Amino acid sequence: MSKFLEVTNLNVTFPTADGDVHASNEVSYSVGLGETLAIVGESGSGKSVSNLAVMGLHNVTRTKITGSAILNLSDGPVDLISASPETVRRLRGKEMSMIFQDPMSALHPFFSIGDQIAEAWHLYNKGSKSDGIKKAIEMLDLVGIPDASVRVHDFPHQFSGGMRQRAMIAMALVNNPSLLIADEPTTALDVTVQSQILKLLKDLQNEFNMAIILITHDLGVVAEVADRICVMYGGRIVEDASVEDIFYRPEHPYTLGLLNSVPRITSGLSHRLRAIPGQPPSLINLPSGCSFQPRCEYSSRVSSGACTESVPALNDKGSGHLSRCHLDIADLNDLVKDKA
Amino acid sequence: MLTYVTRRLLYTILLLAIVSLTIFFIFDLIPVDPARLVCSKQCTPSLVEANRHRLGLDVSVFEQWWRFMVGLFAGRTFGEEGIAITCAAPALGYSFSRHECVTTIVSQAFPYTLSLALGAFVLWLSVGISLGVLSARKKGKFADRAASVFVLVGTSLPTFITGILVVLFIVLQFNLVSPLELGNWHNPVTEPLGWLQTFFFPCATLALAYAATYTRFTRSNVIETSSEDFIRTARAKGLSEKVILRKHTLRAALAPIVTIAGLDFAGLLGGAIITEGIFGLNGLGKLSIKAVTQTYDLPIIVATTLIASAFVLLMNLIVDIAYAFIDPRVRTS
Amino acid sequence: MKITARRLIATTSVAALAASVVLVGGMNSANAANPKPVTGGTLNFYTHSEQFPNLDPQRIYTGRDIAFLGSYVMRTLVSYNPVPGKDGATLVADMATNTGVPSNKAKTWKFTLRPGVAWEDGKPVTCADVKYGWSRTFATDVYVEGPAYPLSWLDIPSAADGSSAYKGPYKKTGQALFDKSINCSKDNRTITFNLSRTVPDFNYYLTYLAGGPVPQAKDTGDKYDLRPMSSGPYMIKKYAINDEMILVRNPNWKKSSDPIRTPYPDNIIVTFGMDEDVRDQIDLEDQIPNGINMDGLQPSNNVAFFEDPTKKNRRMNNYDPYTSYLAANNSAGHLDCLDVRKAVFFAFDNKALIDLSGGTTYYGEMGDNPVKPVIGMDYAPTKGNIHDPNFKISGNPEYAKTLLEKAKTSCPDAYDRATNPAKGLKYYRADTATNKKAAVLVEAALKKAGFVIETVYKPAGTYNANLETYKNETDFLSSGWGADWANASTVIPELWGDGCCNYTKNKKTPEYAGFIKKVNLALVELDRKKQAKMWQELSQYGMDQYWYIRTVFGKSQQTWGSKIGGVYYWEPQGSFGFGQLYVKQ
Repeated sequence: MSKFLEVTNLNVTFPTADGDVHASNEVSYSVGLGETLAIVGESGSGKSVSNLAVMGLHNVTRTKITGSAILNLSDGPVDLISASPETVRRLRGKEMSMIFQDPMSALHPFFSIGDQIAEAWHLYNKGSKSDGIKKAIEMLDLVGIPDASVRVHDFPHQFSGGMRQRAMIAMALVNNPSLLIADEPTTALDVTVQSQILKLLKDLQNEFNMAIILITHDLGVVAEVADRICVMYGGRIVEDASVEDIFYRPEHPYTLGLLNSVPRITSGLSHRLRAIPGQPPSLINLPSGCSFQPRCEYSSRVSSGACTESVPALNDKGSGHLSRCHLDIADLNDLVKDKA
Repeated sequence: MLTYVTRRLLYTILLLAIVSLTIFFIFDLIPVDPARLVCSKQCTPSLVEANRHRLGLDVSVFEQWWRFMVGLFAGRTFGEEGIAITCAAPALGYSFSRHECVTTIVSQAFPYTLSLALGAFVLWLSVGISLGVLSARKKGKFADRAASVFVLVGTSLPTFITGILVVLFIVLQFNLVSPLELGNWHNPVTEPLGWLQTFFFPCATLALAYAATYTRFTRSNVIETSSEDFIRTARAKGLSEKVILRKHTLRAALAPIVTIAGLDFAGLLGGAIITEGIFGLNGLGKLSIKAVTQTYDLPIIVATTLIASAFVLLMNLIVDIAYAFIDPRVRTS
Repeated sequence: MKITARRLIATTSVAALAASVVLVGGMNSANAANPKPVTGGTLNFYTHSEQFPNLDPQRIYTGRDIAFLGSYVMRTLVSYNPVPGKDGATLVADMATNTGVPSNKAKTWKFTLRPGVAWEDGKPVTCADVKYGWSRTFATDVYVEGPAYPLSWLDIPSAADGSSAYKGPYKKTGQALFDKSINCSKDNRTITFNLSRTVPDFNYYLTYLAGGPVPQAKDTGDKYDLRPMSSGPYMIKKYAINDEMILVRNPNWKKSSDPIRTPYPDNIIVTFGMDEDVRDQIDLEDQIPNGINMDGLQPSNNVAFFEDPTKKNRRMNNYDPYTSYLAANNSAGHLDCLDVRKAVFFAFDNKALIDLSGGTTYYGEMGDNPVKPVIGMDYAPTKGNIHDPNFKISGNPEYAKTLLEKAKTSCPDAYDRATNPAKGLKYYRADTATNKKAAVLVEAALKKAGFVIETVYKPAGTYNANLETYKNETDFLSSGWGADWANASTVIPELWGDGCCNYTKNKKTPEYAGFIKKVNLALVELDRKKQAKMWQELSQYGMDQYWYIRTVFGKSQQTWGSKIGGVYYWEPQGSFGFGQLYVKQ
């Protein structure tokens, strides 16, 4: 059974004067209708880059993209990477939509919210201007904006941060796409609004049976809504597992480090957060061997010294749980103990 | 909105009153004595005094200014007994070097300046913006490089060089206009070809420098706006590049140009001194330069300066209002 | 020709300048072939100026404008002879039947108007019109630009403050006094002027448009300056400042009443406001063959035009009406010593200064008289000064040194002032770039002869206004003068006598008193030839005193299009003889 979106061996490279930037390296993931996949990682891990490639939003002249991203539509599969730009464009907004991190800058300051939503709708539907506005009001209602019929004529700067993000979501979903990619949708919002937005996404997913890819650096956010998590580091996927597995049985030191750095309400006040020492790698000059090795506490346990020599493969270490690490299972259990 | 506009208008009027008073003050300070200028070889001190009285310069600066302000609303009479001349309101004074009410002189000069300003404005906006957009879209390619040469040439050559070159090597060389007809007025409505003959080259000369600046400005604005997040959103919505450029990018990129273009235009409404001089157009620029440098004709100086200031001030207001229409973020303040 | 011979003596005795004599002497030979004039066509004039300064006759004071408007639009009782050369400086009758009949020791003058002289509306020009024109000169509160001779000449008492008791036809104060000074005959055709003193050259003033008529009913006051009434062969159809002036034929002008004008062209158009570079191009390229550049060319274009052999029939180079001079301050504590003044005279590097201003070809030549040859019979070349064998145009510092040595004993105070480093001579100048360059040359030349000199710069904008103060403080003052008419009465009394512009500041010695007495006698001498001789002697005296350190006879160049005919230089006005121009086919 194929999932709605299947990304296989996606490589995104930016040629620069200083060398090729390998922003996305052999990335594979998939997400099905009604499923939420979270892609987690630091800035520069390649999580946004990969998804922008799926949407076809990179500048073609300045980006080298290889691999495939198959969208399994009802009338046949389309490889978004090899398809013509025009084909991909006609799928944007209709079958797949993307929302972005900062809704203030992501919405055009000169047009009203209603006009921007209606514009998206008019692209794929025939109707008069008032039809478009009516649809916009409908969508605003749906995403929980009060007084939608009045606020539809407001401008982005007249909305609060949370409302703006809701409006973005309304605009992304007006044409009923089957895939929604949400790139850090709550990062710019405060915590109380965050959970509202996440709940909204979940509700909408249930209502429209959408596939959602949620890109974030915040594991806390992920726990509520994701079904599956991909952890990315240095342009590669380093772990790919269900939510449960990630949280209770992480198989990668980086994932463990991320988990340890999330503040818990259950831990005492004196409990110190453990940050991961070091810096993320340069994507031009990736270290040889495992890209996480310079910061890994456990690389010494790999007796063969493989950590510095070869890039570990993404292996299925047990029932759909993939990880890219030279450590073997026995040592992995130690990891879990450390997690506590 | 209405209170804002009213408030700005009152402020403009106040500012114009201050500007006019300042002009009278400055004129009083310059060391040249206009009363002595036209006086003949056989001038005696009493003749100079009589002339000073005739020119209205024998009273205090405030009194001069007050008479001027009253004249604006109620008209004004010059001279005495039997040879008095009355200028109807709004009287901007009487020019003794041109023997005519300044209001009449100015209203005869203005159509030239307006034609020049408007023609140049349309030219430079259309050339500048389209070239700017083209070079932004074809950034780094041949069209962009060719446009940058144009920008360099246009911004380096001052109008007094381009103007002379155009007149000597194009207009007169190919006899496009007879040298005696240079700068002749034709009504743009009834004699459009004649109007074009007179105004095409001066407008083009004047537009050149502006077009170059606007090309560069538009280009950088379009490039910068193209990398904004909301353009990426528009693309994510599935809009075509053409629509994105036309509707989303240009609207945001050209908004600041409204302000600049308006002010540039307003500046030209006060007269383009060099261009008018070279092409023989009897506009406000030509009028004012002679009054300032040769005849020291105070009424003309006051009138042309006030008109130029008024245009700039009013255009400031118009541009602010227009910008509020374009950018809704400005409105709520 | 007599003219050329005079010029040869007058201009210079230095060989190097002989070449320029060819150019001076009237390039009237441009039209020497004298083809037949053509009637018809349009005569164009073009200028950078935006307007004529004035069109109102009582407000016009420049020779060029008097010549232009007098030739075409406004007639006068008397005019200069419209011919080239020195004969041009003699008077001929215009609207009057003769050049005026003086009586009562030239305190009364009578003129009779010819029959057929009329205004553009057909009405005859009358004595009342002449009288009314004269009255307007007295309205000095509104008209200040014109000549003021009537104010002091007419037999009208003065007011307490020294101005005339008559205040003009608008205020009408003292109108009765004025009415008595000018009488009209019953037939309104004979005008009698009653003057307060002897004025032998009164009729010369009547060549001025200011001495001409204005019909009272058509007097529009200040606006008359835009549209005066025509009595001449053309009338004003259009006058738009900064645009153009169009003259068309006056149907009421009769050739039978006008012996001196030959209005060949049908139309005359003056185009104003032309950019200077454009104007020069048009002139150089002959783009308007039936046109005349009224301003002359900018210096480098001027040289190009005059050095181009293909243009030799389109140009002339003549003396203009002006003399530039450098006056020495003769008062105590300044240059009150003849030997010192002479020393300065011979030390001066005149060539460098003339070259700085454009050279002897185009700018001017050394003169020997404040009176210029163009004035006519009152000019005679003087002896000494530039004709002295010791004179070198680039300066003769050795000879100057010997003169200065003489001054050591003859006037020790002046000598001390001129040579003592602690004191030194002072030369006040307006602060301009050109003056700075000239000052360098002057100082260098004088220092070579042993002088100590300092240039004092004064603000250029107020320089003329403050001349009355400066003239007392400076040792040298440079200025210029043009005679008002072809009689030295408008030169010598003004420059060296009690007139307006005497910067020589002579002390009240018996010699000077004697000089003034002679000047006053010349002013009232009724015998013209005798008067001419007296002026010549007075010129010689002044030059012998070296009151002027240098005199330069300015030159002007005129150019015209290839289709213009009938060109000659009208010496007394310093302009084209406009009335005889025509357009070739």
